[in-house]
Amino acid sequence: MNIIEVKDLRKVYSNGYVSTVALDGVSFDVKEGEFLAIVGSSGCGKSTLMHILGLLDRPTSGFYNFGGKNVFEMSDDEAARVRNKKMGFVFQSFNLLPRTSIFNNVKLPLVYGGLSDEKEKEMVLSALESVGLKDKANNFSNQLSGGEQQRAAIARALVNHPAIIFADEPTGNLDSLSGQNVLELLQDLNDDGHTIILVTHEKYTSEMAQRIIEMKDGKIVLDEKVENRKLAKNGLIK
Amino acid sequence: MNLRDSIKTALISLKSNKTRSALTMLGIVIGISSVVTMVSIGNGAKQLIIGQFSTLGSNNIFIEPGSFSKKMEGNQGMQSMLEEMTIKTLKYEDYKAIEKDPLISKAAPLAFGAEKIFYKGNDFKVTYLGTTPEGINILNKAEFIYGNNFTEEDVKSLGRDVVLGYKVKETLFGEEDPIGKIVRIKGNNFRVIGSLDQQGTQMFMNLDEVIYLPITTAQKVILGVDHIQEIVAQAKDENRIEEAVESIRLTIRERHAIDNPEGDPAKDDFKVVSQKETAEILDTVISIFTMFLSSVAAIALLVGGIGIMNIMLVSVTERTKEIGLRKAVGARRSDVMTQFLIEALILTLIGGLIGIFFGLVFSLLASFILGAVLSISWQFSFPLNAVAWAFCVATAIGLVFGLYPARRASKLNPIEALRYE
Repeated sequence: MNIIEVKDLRKVYSNGYVSTVALDGVSFDVKEGEFLAIVGSSGCGKSTLMHILGLLDRPTSGFYNFGGKNVFEMSDDEAARVRNKKMGFVFQSFNLLPRTSIFNNVKLPLVYGGLSDEKEKEMVLSALESVGLKDKANNFSNQLSGGEQQRAAIARALVNHPAIIFADEPTGNLDSLSGQNVLELLQDLNDDGHTIILVTHEKYTSEMAQRIIEMKDGKIVLDEKVENRKLAKNGLIK
Repeated sequence: MNLRDSIKTALISLKSNKTRSALTMLGIVIGISSVVTMVSIGNGAKQLIIGQFSTLGSNNIFIEPGSFSKKMEGNQGMQSMLEEMTIKTLKYEDYKAIEKDPLISKAAPLAFGAEKIFYKGNDFKVTYLGTTPEGINILNKAEFIYGNNFTEEDVKSLGRDVVLGYKVKETLFGEEDPIGKIVRIKGNNFRVIGSLDQQGTQMFMNLDEVIYLPITTAQKVILGVDHIQEIVAQAKDENRIEEAVESIRLTIRERHAIDNPEGDPAKDDFKVVSQKETAEILDTVISIFTMFLSSVAAIALLVGGIGIMNIMLVSVTERTKEIGLRKAVGARRSDVMTQFLIEALILTLIGGLIGIFFGLVFSLLASFILGAVLSISWQFSFPLNAVAWAFCVATAIGLVFGLYPARRASKLNPIEALRYE
């Protein structure tokens, strides 16, 4: 079953003087449980596409169904709710809250979910356990290494048991070993049934996915299955 | 996001910028504490006036020399005051005539000044009041501890008898019985014939530091004048004070041969005011004064509110990335808005509470200081209305000045917010 259906998606940025076409008629589907990598050079529109898919931004025109629901018909609050319940985000710069414990950082999506304290605690600890940071729950984000911070961010992305995880250059700020750990984590999550969309400009990172979409100038130039998919746990990727 | 989480988040954010939060609150603290202090002092002043007037009874009428116009025109205020002291228009006979007025129950003439009173090595600066035996009873409700009042005979014969107020007796004689002792006032010997119990202040005069002489003695022996300085009269019927005032005016005009059929007070050489009227005027003056001072304080409050808005705007800018992240993980606009509003509210409410506390401390201090300086018993009044008002204003300021920054935060585009560096 398709979790994402996109047809002829367009996004035009305009500042009143100049219009820039970021997405120029993009169409594809993503199946549930798929691990998709979107690649392309800087400015190709891959980040814009991810933001639209993640309901953080709205397309100018086209058709986008998420989980069987037309995104164009969603209000801002409904979109927020979908992001909260069905989606998880991992960013290049981690985006952890400063002066806040790792526990509370991971809890952040649950704060908007209306669960009981016990349930919240259970979910946070289980998410931290799955990224191997349970013993650092009470540390502050600045007391963690970059790799640990990104793992905490992944715990935050999966704490709500989302259907899909969007990862925007998750290894971009990490050394290769930490990057490998993060990719291994994403592959494990995918094995557990999470759909994953990974945005990257690194070819070897994209080869961790099952399928690659390559973009150029706002258009899809390649959409293919990855032959000889690489597994992060098998060793250094560089 | 539930309220508890919002409050927790707000507290974390305020705590992480302790100095900034404290300085922001300071504006509200100063504003609220000034308003509370001003209103409290105003209330205290009102109560003081009510107290000062009420011990005297409510149906008093005061007749003073000089006209209203002279006082009003007095841009050379000091001069007109001096003039008033030396106006000789009011006579002992005027008092006699007023006393006979059917609307008046009692009346007393007054001649007064300040002199030192000596006994053996001790001396004490006192206010001396020359009046009649009945005058003492009108002015001072205290009982005689020693001796008795002087008599009408003393008034007629310029008797050298004196009645001492409580503190005068205590200072000069201590535990000693003062009756029959000779004291000296302005080079004249006086015999103490009575001393009074404590009475405190009344009409802003400490009656315990007053001595009472026969009116004629005060006029001729001490002041060396022929006129009197004031007449106090009491209306028989509390509901007919205005009538009594008018009747007194007519009596004195007739005696002073003033042709004033239209009743223009500027043409008179005397003024008649009822205590009620004076109290009302004072009450109005104090209300206006309190209002004026409170509005100055309210401006401080407004500036404090703008400070809150300013800091909240800085906070929104600083935390743009956080707002973007919160939106990305599912915060709705209303969640973000509530979070920042609660932050502003907490700032103002804590500031408000501290302000109320300091306001109460300041007004308590003020009541002590004013009481000591004016040597009167200044009643500290807990300004419940001002406290309630201040609390509401603090909340309103939090809401009003927090709203704009909170709205701005809630409207941020998550993508732009996340990219913000």
